[in-house]
Order: sequence, then C-alpha cells, then structure tokens
Amino acid sequence: MGRVLLACAAVTCLLVLIATAPDTRPVASASPQVVHRPVVQDGPGLRALQAKYKTLSKQLSQLKPSQPYILVDTARNRLYVKHQGEVVLDAIASTGSGTILDKPGDDSSQWIFDTPRGEFLVQSKLTKPTWIKPDWAFVEEGLGVPKNAAERAEPGVLGDYALGFGKGYFIHGTLYTRLLGKNVTHGCIRLNDTDLKGVYTLARVGTPIMIF
Amino acid sequence: MNCAILLLIALTTPSWGKDLEAFPNLNLNDPHSVKEATRVLEEELKLAARPHTYVLIDLARNTIHIKGRGVELHHMPIVQWSVGSWEKLTGIHRLVARPQVVRRKIEPGKGDEQEPISLTDMPADYDLSFASGLTINVVPLAEKGNLAQGIAFMGKAWWRRLKNWTSTIGTDQPSTSAAQLEITVSVDHAQSLAWSLVDGMAVLIRRSADH
Repeated sequence: MGRVLLACAAVTCLLVLIATAPDTRPVASASPQVVHRPVVQDGPGLRALQAKYKTLSKQLSQLKPSQPYILVDTARNRLYVKHQGEVVLDAIASTGSGTILDKPGDDSSQWIFDTPRGEFLVQSKLTKPTWIKPDWAFVEEGLGVPKNAAERAEPGVLGDYALGFGKGYFIHGTLYTRLLGKNVTHGCIRLNDTDLKGVYTLARVGTPIMIF
Repeated sequence: MNCAILLLIALTTPSWGKDLEAFPNLNLNDPHSVKEATRVLEEELKLAARPHTYVLIDLARNTIHIKGRGVELHHMPIVQWSVGSWEKLTGIHRLVARPQVVRRKIEPGKGDEQEPISLTDMPADYDLSFASGLTINVVPLAEKGNLAQGIAFMGKAWWRRLKNWTSTIGTDQPSTSAAQLEITVSVDHAQSLAWSLVDGMAVLIRRSADH
C-alpha cells in the first residue's frame, strides 16, 4: 500500500514538474505582431541606416540572375524556367530517387541516386543524344559491366534533347512519361518531349540551374 | 536632345522600388528593424555570392526561405516560434547534423519493384545542430482532429523543455540563455524543410523587431 502511495506521489510530482517547467523564452505566433515602440524621428543615424539598407538591398538584387534561369524543386518534382521573377515555363519532372546501390566488389562503397542540390550551369546542349550507360546501369539490372565501350551506347532513350550540367547529370527526355512527377531517376532530371523542347529553346550554355 | 537623354536614363536606370527591397514590409522608421535587416543583408550577401543554396529563417515575417543568389526558391510559413537567446542567433550557422533519411537499397535485377523515397518519408519532428552551437528544434503542428498526433507532439515538446530546464539546474546559466530556436510548422512543411537541407548548408536568422 505504502509503495503504491509512493509511486502515485512520484508520478504526481513528475507531472507537476513537467507542467511547471519554466519556459520563459520569447514566444511568438504567426499572427501579425504589433510592437509598440515610440516613433523614432528621422535623424542622421536612422538616415545612414536606411541608406546602408538600400545599398545592400541593391547589391543583393544585382546578384540575382539577369537572364532566364532554371529552377528545379526535387521534393515536388517540378521544373520552372524563370526570368526576372516570372515563370516562363512550368513542367512536371522526375528527379533522383534517393535510393542506394552497392558497388560490386567494394563493401564500403555505394552509389546514391540523388539529384545534386545547389547552383549549376548548363554546360552542354545536345540534340538526339545517345545514352552511354554507366556502370551502375548494368549492376542495377544484375548484369556484368561490359569491357567494350560500344556495348554501353543506347540511342533513343533520352529524347530529342539533353542539357548537361556537370558530372554526368543531364536534363533529358524519357520513355517513361507515366513516372513524371515521381522521384525515380538516378539523379538526372526527366521531362516530357514538349517541355524538354521548351527548356532547350529557352536555355543556352551558361544558363544557371538552381536545384533544391 | 537633353530631354531624350534624361528620358533614356530614367527608363533604363532601375528606380528604388519595392522589388529591390530585400524585406518589402520593413518599417524603415524603426532603427532596430532597419539595423537587423542590414545585419542580415550583410551576411546574406556573402552567401548569395557563392553557388550554394541557403536558408533564411525570418522571425519578423514568420517564414522560412530557401534561397540561392538572393533569389527565393521556396518558402514556408512558421506557425509559431520561441527562442532561447537572441544574441546567439546572429551570424551564419553551418548545419552539421540534419535528420536521418532512411534510404532504400536497390536489389540488382529487381527493376521497378524498389520504391523511391518521397517527401512523406521525411521526418517531421527533428533537431538541427549547427557548428556555432545553435540547435533548431523543428516541431510539427498536429493535423486538425488528430488527437493522438497532437498528444504525441505535445508530449515530445514537454519532454524537450523539461530536459532543457533540468540541464540548467545547478548551473549559473539561466534556461533562457540556450542557443536554441524552436519553430513550429505544419507536418508537410517540416518534411519539406528536412528534404531541402544538405550537409554544411548555411542558415541565417532574421530576428523579430522585439529582440
């Protein structure tokens, strides 16, 4: 009986402790904040601050791309071409699956099929591209990696155009249009034929690609 | 002739418009707000000069922005936030620990049978640790009508606060001095943020006007 009472008392103490744990940190909700503060008269200090703020804002604005750029949202599988804040092209894409594949003969090494994040540039524009299958494409299919380079060439699977943005990553077409909108690729960005042609037309070598 | 030149200059020179302002709703008559905006801009200019994406947590506007080159790539609203110490939020914070993502392994020869990861695989309740010592607790807002989820999220938040409080017992450090920011966002946005973060990513925090 005494133990039960002791246990009850301990639980009660713990609950009281949790409920009264002080959380004196500043807290804000997303509702509009009204901060009551005396209106500061325009003075030299404030004017200098305003001027600095405007200068810095202008400098930041100047870093923004002045030419059209490609924006890729890998979470929602969307590709946009934007120019001066306006969406010029809006396409459903497929991006990296995030899956992993062990490298044969190397227990500590594996391929990770993510679309890289950050800023890249269009480095090449190709028409009628041929896919040169990398090692992982054979390993994934359970096949041996061919020694003859000619066995790696697979024409007709990347669509009519491809835009390379480094390290073997491309924006290209697909035969699997039913998978657009899903994370299914090995890191490349797939589009349907119409959108691919639009991106190919709007982008040039040097066009920024921002991927997040 | 002079008029034509002046007109040409007027048309080609960008005027100081709202589109040039980094923080459009900034109260330019409040020196504290302008000073904070200026501090953040100075830091952001360093990040925007490099080809990497970064995060701006704007406590004045209750929003999280994913940015690159000063361009907003994506944003998400913050439902509420609380902060341990205002002073420790300044500077550029480099992410050293982000939520674990469980990746599926491809079994060779099995083709399309392996499911890719998606946003719903991302965690919604997690902590982010930064090289500066800052910790950001991302707390999901329970969906309306989901009582079990609400109790679970509330329980975790209480537990976290209790741990923080007990860690300060017996020290001179008040519980309010922790380099800690807690942000509550919807489950979708918490998962979206987890997806967008990469190792070493830079995070900037703009403090609200009452800091």
